[in-house]
Amino acid sequence: MSRRSVRIASALILCLPLTIGSTAAAASENVQVRLRSAVDAVSAGAPFTVLIHFQIRPGWHIYWKNPGDSGLPPRVTWMLPRGFQAGPIEWPVPERLLAEGLMSYGYTREATLPVRITPPATLGPDSVRIAGALEWLECKEACLAGSSALRLSLPVSPQLVKGDSDITARSRLPVSPDGWSLSAQAGSRAIALDFTPPRGITPKGAYFFVDQPLVTEHAAPQRFQRTRTGYRLTLEPAANASGNLARLSGVLEIEGSGRMKSGSAIQVDVPVVPGDPAPAPAPSTPREWPVAATALALAFAVGLLIFVRRRSASTRT
Amino acid sequence: MRRIATLALILLLAPSLKAHAAAIVGKSAPALELRDADGKTARLDAYKGKYVVLEWVNPQCPFVRKHYGSGNMQGLQKKYTEKGVVWLSILSSAPGKEGYMKAGEAREWVAEQKAAPTRFLLDPKGKVGRAYGAKTTPHIFVIDPKGTLIYNGAIDDKPSTDKADIETAKNYLAAALDESMAGEKVATAATQPYGCRVKY
Repeated sequence: MSRRSVRIASALILCLPLTIGSTAAAASENVQVRLRSAVDAVSAGAPFTVLIHFQIRPGWHIYWKNPGDSGLPPRVTWMLPRGFQAGPIEWPVPERLLAEGLMSYGYTREATLPVRITPPATLGPDSVRIAGALEWLECKEACLAGSSALRLSLPVSPQLVKGDSDITARSRLPVSPDGWSLSAQAGSRAIALDFTPPRGITPKGAYFFVDQPLVTEHAAPQRFQRTRTGYRLTLEPAANASGNLARLSGVLEIEGSGRMKSGSAIQVDVPVVPGDPAPAPAPSTPREWPVAATALALAFAVGLLIFVRRRSASTRT
Repeated sequence: MRRIATLALILLLAPSLKAHAAAIVGKSAPALELRDADGKTARLDAYKGKYVVLEWVNPQCPFVRKHYGSGNMQGLQKKYTEKGVVWLSILSSAPGKEGYMKAGEAREWVAEQKAAPTRFLLDPKGKVGRAYGAKTTPHIFVIDPKGTLIYNGAIDDKPSTDKADIETAKNYLAAALDESMAGEKVATAATQPYGCRVKY
């Protein structure tokens, strides 16, 4: 038995005295963890969501699935009743935490990580116990390893229980890019992510959180520009990138207006066209600039004319 | 006219897209000149003809503690220095930041850990750390006898603070040295390092 399984086992033994309580809290010095459920009861065959909630002391942070230049994402080892299955952690859009030129992706103050649980097709009458061992890294200036037991008890309901579709909105999860057109090109000098949102969304800026290792230089600035067909983000390839990137995946966060609320984000997973991207074709309204310049020049000329005439008028009197 | 403007813009923005210094696998390792914990100057070019391992360290970091607390790092240091490899541990914590040590404290820490690097180097200004693009503690670089970088990345493939993971992890540093010493190409030459942020 490895040391980790001993630790996980002891964490789970700690859960044993718990009878039917719907939540459980655990604490480290800087991070409090709770496991909550999005439903009041479980019914056979109906998937439901549990939420790992982190309350984080100001100044401290935990990490996203790609922690960036340093750090470690939280991980959980579930111990579920027979026939139950847990999905992966779903990761809300992270924050950018830049320090001393190094970029971390993570969460401050609080984070809610949903996990989908699928019960078996048949269930007995006894309440269901969901347990797990959670490990995470918490950092401020210094880093500490945290761990805690997760536990939750839910009654079984013979009727189908109410769904939990509002979880996505509340947890700031990236949505699937329905109606978006996305493409990527990657060379040794630059990576371009081109995107066209559905009608009604006008991005004012964007940021791409890559979720693959050694693809982009996390701390490098990302250049956002309008193109003829939509928008482009230009990213700096990682210094030691392998050079044969097949797909680009991660989360594209949009600062914008329209239907999409500011800070909303989509999931990205697109095939990559190899080679350095050519400069993006300029937006389809190139006449705007000359027009603006002419207008400005004209306004200046008119102003000058008025000024000169007034002066000559005032010298006359 | 628009084309010229675009070109000018590209030229203006180009440096910002390649602003990060780093040690690139397959290229010459950046120069290195630092004081060690004994107050003597160490230079990378003095070790031409030998394999050199650079190990970024911070005694307070839980990832560093994983590899020292288990004896894994000391074991690697002993094993490879006995084979003629030069092992340089480098501390880039700035004064007042986590892990910063003066020369005397560094000597004490090395003795206390029974660590066996060839030298323990102090980089309080972060000059060498920045030149290599050292991001985490630990962050490992391996240089071959010609001075070419042959590995840049994590110490192993199990990013965690758990000592129990060492046993089952694939050690990239050992693999790079073993493969290169056997005249083979290093199979995994670059990985994303894991650990605490270097406290520049």
